[in-house]
Amino acid sequence: MATLLLQAGVVFAVVALGGAVATRVDQSVIPAYIVAGILVGPEVPDLLGVPFVLVESQEFITLLSELGIVFLLFFIGLEFNLDRLLASRSQIASAGTIDLLVNGVVGLGLALLFGFGPVEALFLAGIVYISSSAIITKTLIDLEWIADPETEAILGTLVFEDVVIAVYLALLSALVLGGGGSSDTLFALGRAGAVLVALVLLAFYGTGLLERILSVRSDEQFLLRVVGSAVLVGGVALSMGVSEAVAAFFLGAAFGGTEHAERIERVITSERDLYAAVFFFAIGLATDPSVVLEVATPLAALVVATVASKLVSGYLGGQRYGLSKRRSIRVALAMVARGEFSLVLAALAASAGTTPALRETIPALAVGYVLVMSVVGTTLMRYSHVVERWAGTPQKTVAGR
Amino acid sequence: MTVYETDIPGVGRKFELELDGEARAIVVVHHDGRRELFHRATPDADSEKLFDLDGEQARQLGSILSGAYFESVATDDLTLPLGEAFIEWFDVESDSPLVGETLESAAIRAETGVSVIAVQRGTETLENPDAGFELQTDDVLVTLGTRDEQTAVEDLLHADD
Repeated sequence: MATLLLQAGVVFAVVALGGAVATRVDQSVIPAYIVAGILVGPEVPDLLGVPFVLVESQEFITLLSELGIVFLLFFIGLEFNLDRLLASRSQIASAGTIDLLVNGVVGLGLALLFGFGPVEALFLAGIVYISSSAIITKTLIDLEWIADPETEAILGTLVFEDVVIAVYLALLSALVLGGGGSSDTLFALGRAGAVLVALVLLAFYGTGLLERILSVRSDEQFLLRVVGSAVLVGGVALSMGVSEAVAAFFLGAAFGGTEHAERIERVITSERDLYAAVFFFAIGLATDPSVVLEVATPLAALVVATVASKLVSGYLGGQRYGLSKRRSIRVALAMVARGEFSLVLAALAASAGTTPALRETIPALAVGYVLVMSVVGTTLMRYSHVVERWAGTPQKTVAGR
Repeated sequence: MTVYETDIPGVGRKFELELDGEARAIVVVHHDGRRELFHRATPDADSEKLFDLDGEQARQLGSILSGAYFESVATDDLTLPLGEAFIEWFDVESDSPLVGETLESAAIRAETGVSVIAVQRGTETLENPDAGFELQTDDVLVTLGTRDEQTAVEDLLHADD
């Protein structure tokens, strides 16, 4: 027990340290958590001949990082608002479709070029398609863009991505978690479909029931009920062959329809942040840096191609929102950052592990990719004024100021 | 006058209020209760963040703005939300040594300790005037500072040199 507690202590302390360093240098915390995991994990090269392993992969880390996935997606579901989506559906749909097509096609194309099979290619396409809501939203607030019109285009496109990724995760997980034979796969697909339908029905018609479950005054009881239902539904789904992430998303959407949505967000945010940090750390822990180095060439190609594709799709998306050239450039720069969802997909690929590429190559690629793209994304946003000037669209100086 | 209300997914809600001309005041209300205030001078400008408020501060400011918060007390024993500091208005008269000086060359803050938070000229109020702003006769300085600092401004404005 003592060793376990000590290990947990090391995990949280190292994560906290990583976060402090990242904040100090104005960077996103996600790559810092991953690097922290790599540095203290079993795969790190010996330090001057001394093995520098502080943390072994442990069941409790797996559990906490699993909770991280559940809460990340639960939160996205909570924020998911069908009415809002429908209110500006033409803009969101057209910007979102451009985003999906451009980046999805580039991802699929590159994956096939690298010689991956169809399922592997689907994973890679998803990993490069999905931008990081966490990194982008945080940077929008930090850089004080949050009140500007481009924010609507950026977050609108992210909402579209969230919906796509929920559906995509559902299909993909049924495909890889379903098992080998085709009749097995059909059965698995059917069972997964049934669970999903149940969750969607809950989201649409279960509002009254959820409302009753959550009407409790005490914050403690409230938190327990939310966590209890989210984790239980995630667990049930996973044991039925449905991705816990997808289940959590739909449950979140169901809760989002109740009048308790804002209270849930307030109460659950710190839980999510804590477990998500462990999730990123665990990703680092499981990453062998030498494998990441082995895939450096495809990784570089992936980075260059998908920075470009996000810039193109982001700019076009901004134009669809009727934004000026300068603001469209900002949308383009903002969409570049990739993060948590690419890693969720990598985790799914690794846990499915039906081919060597899914087990090792894709997760390693994804980790390297997120490390680069999270930093590139925030840096591009931070230096947007340079790009704007270069594009000939600096902000007009305002008279009298 | 129109107020535009928008959802900001993952953050909270945004309210935009049309001001004079093309300018807008923007309030972002975060889910955790924090409020950010922005000012955007033209549609193409970047929003400029003015300040952050927590829930309690926002209610106070709101009641001040709506005119519900008003206490008539002598300024000498005043305790205000700004601590010791309060806001004072000063006329710049034609014989004042500050006429023709910029805020930088007048060095008001260095001399007295107050901050010039706005200058009223005619019917216009110029918030946050920058260092190069040149003072003219009949301008009204709006300053933030303690009682002693405000007295020093009075002296500076009527200095004989």
